[in-house]
Amino acid sequence: MQRISISRCASQLRAPRRPACPCAAANSVRRSTTPHSHRIQARCQSTVAIPDEGGLHLEIAANSGAAATRKSRPSSQPLPLEKLPSPHPSAAERSTKLHALRSRLSLPPRFPLQALARTLVHASADPNPAFNNASLSILGRHLLGYYTSEWLLCNYPRLPMPVVFAAVEAYIGPKALATIASEWGIEAAAEPGGEVDSGLLQFKRIASGDGLPEALRRQAPWKWNVTTTHKIMRTDEFGSTNAPPSPHALQKTPVPMEEAAQSFVRALIGALHVHLGSPLVKRFFRDHFLSRHLDISTLFDFRTPTRDLSRLCAREGFEAPVARLISETGRLSRHPVFVVGVYSGKDKLGEGAGSSLDEARTRAAAAALKAWYLYKPVEVTVPSSMEGELDTSKWRPNFVDCGEVIV
Amino acid sequence: MASRRPIRSLISTTASSLRPAQPSKCSLVRTAACAFATISPSRGPEYDTEAADRPRWQQTPPKMMAPFRIRPLAKGGVFKVNEDPRKLDDAYIRMLGPGGDKVLGDEVKWLAITHKSFDHGRRGFNDRLAYLGRRIVELQTSQALISSPQENQWPRDSKGIPANDEFGRKPYLHPALNGLQGLTDEAEGLVLSKTRLSPIAERYGLDKVTRWKPRRADDLQGSGIESVLMTSLYAIVGAVALERGGEVANKVVQDKILAPLGFTFSAES
Repeated sequence: MQRISISRCASQLRAPRRPACPCAAANSVRRSTTPHSHRIQARCQSTVAIPDEGGLHLEIAANSGAAATRKSRPSSQPLPLEKLPSPHPSAAERSTKLHALRSRLSLPPRFPLQALARTLVHASADPNPAFNNASLSILGRHLLGYYTSEWLLCNYPRLPMPVVFAAVEAYIGPKALATIASEWGIEAAAEPGGEVDSGLLQFKRIASGDGLPEALRRQAPWKWNVTTTHKIMRTDEFGSTNAPPSPHALQKTPVPMEEAAQSFVRALIGALHVHLGSPLVKRFFRDHFLSRHLDISTLFDFRTPTRDLSRLCAREGFEAPVARLISETGRLSRHPVFVVGVYSGKDKLGEGAGSSLDEARTRAAAAALKAWYLYKPVEVTVPSSMEGELDTSKWRPNFVDCGEVIV
Repeated sequence: MASRRPIRSLISTTASSLRPAQPSKCSLVRTAACAFATISPSRGPEYDTEAADRPRWQQTPPKMMAPFRIRPLAKGGVFKVNEDPRKLDDAYIRMLGPGGDKVLGDEVKWLAITHKSFDHGRRGFNDRLAYLGRRIVELQTSQALISSPQENQWPRDSKGIPANDEFGRKPYLHPALNGLQGLTDEAEGLVLSKTRLSPIAERYGLDKVTRWKPRRADDLQGSGIESVLMTSLYAIVGAVALERGGEVANKVVQDKILAPLGFTFSAES
């Protein structure tokens, strides 16, 4: 029989001293094996016969049962693992990486490892929707979007929409989720296949030197002037100009690791929701996502803060803002400092320091606008806290703001 | 504040010379919670009690109004919007059921159906509410798609054992994972398309009470009324969520939006 070369075995993916995957040991007749693997094969064949719990169907190992039930392959040899797009679900129980990941994330033992293994398989690795994480990632994306946006809108009710988009992207955007996945210790397989460890992130990589696939490239917006309302209603929760590609559509395309890591984190949230219920998902979200610190005051980018502030004061019925010099030093030197305050009547709305009078006035107006937009109520109950809750006495209606000022 | 003022005037202590020439109604229109500063701002001598008592939804802020209109009138005619609180209450009762007009507060009721195009956004608009409402509706739609009966379950043979796929594998099947194959972006896009949602909004009478400004008053379809109605629908959901909580908002989505689209919900969901 032909000997499979080392590169084909993908042995660089496995630790050198670890025993070979017992499913791969079934193919040992085609490889020069060590006696070690025969013992592994015998051992695992006995543990593989896990009793069928009510309603739970565990996939039986390829080498023990599939030969009897397979209709498509005429020979009795099971398909070599390298030909499979992703590992067998039963390999999840034997993967130390998955056990470690589950305990690292403090997930209860009743969360099945097979579900965790499924969340690590991107659609580009395995096109079959029953084996990849596409549907779970859609559910997880909606969950994350809901929890993040309600938290932001309840805690910062006056935030302008572009800042809301930026903040949501900072919490649950593609880069943030990719960072979170790497913080959780997710490693990626070099090439997807049935022989890789179930605990590795599996996706089809972009060939070195190739560009991004068509589906992920930046597309021209449908109109030159994409309004904020259009972004809210038509595209995604981050305010992109175009809707992102559907996870199911990425079945044959190579993807960057960021996309695969993002799909994993979303799929994990989705899997936690269906298996463990929403209270646990809310606690998980609070622990892993809301605990990340974001300074929202750095997300603002004003173009004409003085004009915005003047329209805001007119809308709210305050007196027109007036900029007054509070103090200054070094006016004729190389580094002057002017401290300017913006006043509405007798109240100072904001103060800013700059090296020119215009700069100081601009900073003061920007500070005044931030003071308005970053208003934060003291006690906040988010809408999802009332889901399934019998005691509604803790509910406090949230402040609904009329919107940012339009100039 | 005009940007062309000479720098010297910045230092001036008298503010009166810097205030732009405006109608002398220094009215104070404030809602309950817009405290910008702890002490009350000083009111000008010409304090107009009438303008101060009117709520925000009813009038455009007097300081933002020019004394007369310079631009030509819009092509297609003037579009009249609803000003009557009773018609709005009727629409809410039609949508949210009996007592629907008491679910939201007064200002929020009007804010939820006010599009950004109305009055240049001077009376507030429902963008933020629509953002939250869309998140809620999308999540409820995903859950409804998962729990709706599926026609393409994993095939099983006569004994109920799942069949193999082309690689000879069986997936991990668990009752919790049932129905996931129905959840795709295409399915969601079909459910939540504006051609399906705008008739539902029209059934509730939202097209009569939504405050917006069409591009042409004689061609509402071409001006995008479907999109505006969808925004209003989502914004009402978002407003209910912020004022009444997620439980009530989820029920509104299930009963008033998804049920007319064909989903059925059992009693305990």
